[in-house]
Amino acid sequence: MKITILYGTETGNAEMLAEDITASLSAEHEVECRNLSEMDPRAFDPARFYILVCSTYGEGELPASARPFAEAVAAARPDLSAIHFAIFGLGDSEYAETFNHGPKRLAELMAAHGARQVGERIAHDASGGDLAEDLALPWAEAVVAAARERLGEAA
Amino acid sequence: MAQAGEGQRGGPAGRIAIVGAGPAGCYLAQALLRAAPGLEVNLIDALPVPFGLLRYGVAPDHQGTKAVTRQFERLFDRQGARFFGNVTVGRDIALDTLRASHDAVVLAAGLAGDRRLGIPGDDLPGVIGAGRLTRAILEHPDADPLPDLGPAPLIIGNGNVAIDILRLLSKTPEEFAGSDLGSAPGRWLAEGGIGAITVIGRAPAGRARFDPAMIRELGRLSAVRISVGDRGGDADGPEAAARLAALAAIDGHGAGPRRIRFRFALRPVAVEGGARVEALRVVRPDGAEERIACSAIITAIGFADAGLLGRDGLIGAAADAESGLIAPGLFAAGWFRRGPRGTIPDARAEAQALAGRILAALAPDPGRAGAAALAGLADIVDWQGWRRIDARERAAAPPDRVRAKIPTRGEMLRIARERENAS
Repeated sequence: MKITILYGTETGNAEMLAEDITASLSAEHEVECRNLSEMDPRAFDPARFYILVCSTYGEGELPASARPFAEAVAAARPDLSAIHFAIFGLGDSEYAETFNHGPKRLAELMAAHGARQVGERIAHDASGGDLAEDLALPWAEAVVAAARERLGEAA
Repeated sequence: MAQAGEGQRGGPAGRIAIVGAGPAGCYLAQALLRAAPGLEVNLIDALPVPFGLLRYGVAPDHQGTKAVTRQFERLFDRQGARFFGNVTVGRDIALDTLRASHDAVVLAAGLAGDRRLGIPGDDLPGVIGAGRLTRAILEHPDADPLPDLGPAPLIIGNGNVAIDILRLLSKTPEEFAGSDLGSAPGRWLAEGGIGAITVIGRAPAGRARFDPAMIRELGRLSAVRISVGDRGGDADGPEAAARLAALAAIDGHGAGPRRIRFRFALRPVAVEGGARVEALRVVRPDGAEERIACSAIITAIGFADAGLLGRDGLIGAAADAESGLIAPGLFAAGWFRRGPRGTIPDARAEAQALAGRILAALAPDPGRAGAAALAGLADIVDWQGWRRIDARERAAAPPDRVRAKIPTRGEMLRIARERENAS
């Protein structure tokens, strides 16, 4: 399958996880990894599966590299109804009130323009005991398997 | 953009030394090696251990904030950066020697000094800088002993550092579960007998510097009673409104034994006391003076140059310090360049821009010695040495801690020198 990993990052942690997911999926799939800040919202390709990796910053806001993307989506109002995506969040439960609000906002933004979410939006907690990749890599395998059915053999 | 990859005849595409292995230095090394993987990047730190502020500034109960450390581990494990710990530039090796042996040198040593109050009595025993106190609580090997704060310390400052100190002084032992607070500072906190903490800000609450999330976090403390005094004015914008809302949310929180009082718009004018601090004299917005009794004063009003590396002269003489270039082949980054403002993500953004400028200006000279200029120094801790210290600290962690920090240089050096397999 053709997969694009898109990361929204502020500290670089989401970028590192996106690179890990890219490395993990590359054995069996054609995977590219890009910063959300460089993604043109009109360039989404229905033949590709999009995996978004996003953190939260400040008062539950999108991280720095996702903000230009959100603004571009708001301006371009793209029709994403043929686009399938999954989303993984990075957060810190020390900031309980805004925990994982960034990825939630991003998922809502995609859905608001018709994009279809595959799988659950799950979140890693930086104040928890496990490593993000231990949670994200099995999740990525699962959402890719689910996406294969949705996108069909054409992908 | 400069060309990436190997230089001619297989040598490195340039040799860069970065002084300071904290977030500014590590983010810069990361950005340099991403853009030009063939570079030789040597990170030098005065401490035997890397990561600077992440290890000795970020609070022990904010492990999530320290998670960027994992990126920096990869910098050394996979990107080829080299670590030279326990090397003080200016003492163990001259800055000029470093410059002669590298195509570029970047000073990213941070700002370790505490800004002083600058009022009469600010040098009385019992007045302690937040940086000094934080280093003691975080077991920095060069830290002063943990001080006696008495039953009613007062914190001056309204930034996140002030809130960190307040939170650490307010937590119960159980509330440090999952942290890397050491056993000695843990005992010191548990047995300190603090009954009341007053936090004083010069500005009205709406213009305070803390993040609202840091204030809301206080609403989870179990052993406190929080009251927020007169805010000193109404909100004049969304950020101020968010701060005031966060303060309103914690006002009245808790019924615990430790009383926390926030007060705003008070200008400190004198520290009073005999053999040690007894009170802070402040001026209220209406011009009236007030004497606030206290058993210690913790100043969290910013950081300052501690006189390292002749920063004043270097930054002052630079034609355009804002660009990061302070002399031919010599750059500055992070707080060392811009002063004590900006967050960890700010350091990343700055590093990415500065890496581009350094590479654009780089004129590699294959005759330079690079890391070989550091090789002969005594007691260097390399990356493998740090890995041994790190492994020991993790293995020694009690059940409710993520690590047990080695608190002394001597012990760090001893562990770093051990062979991985002594058999």
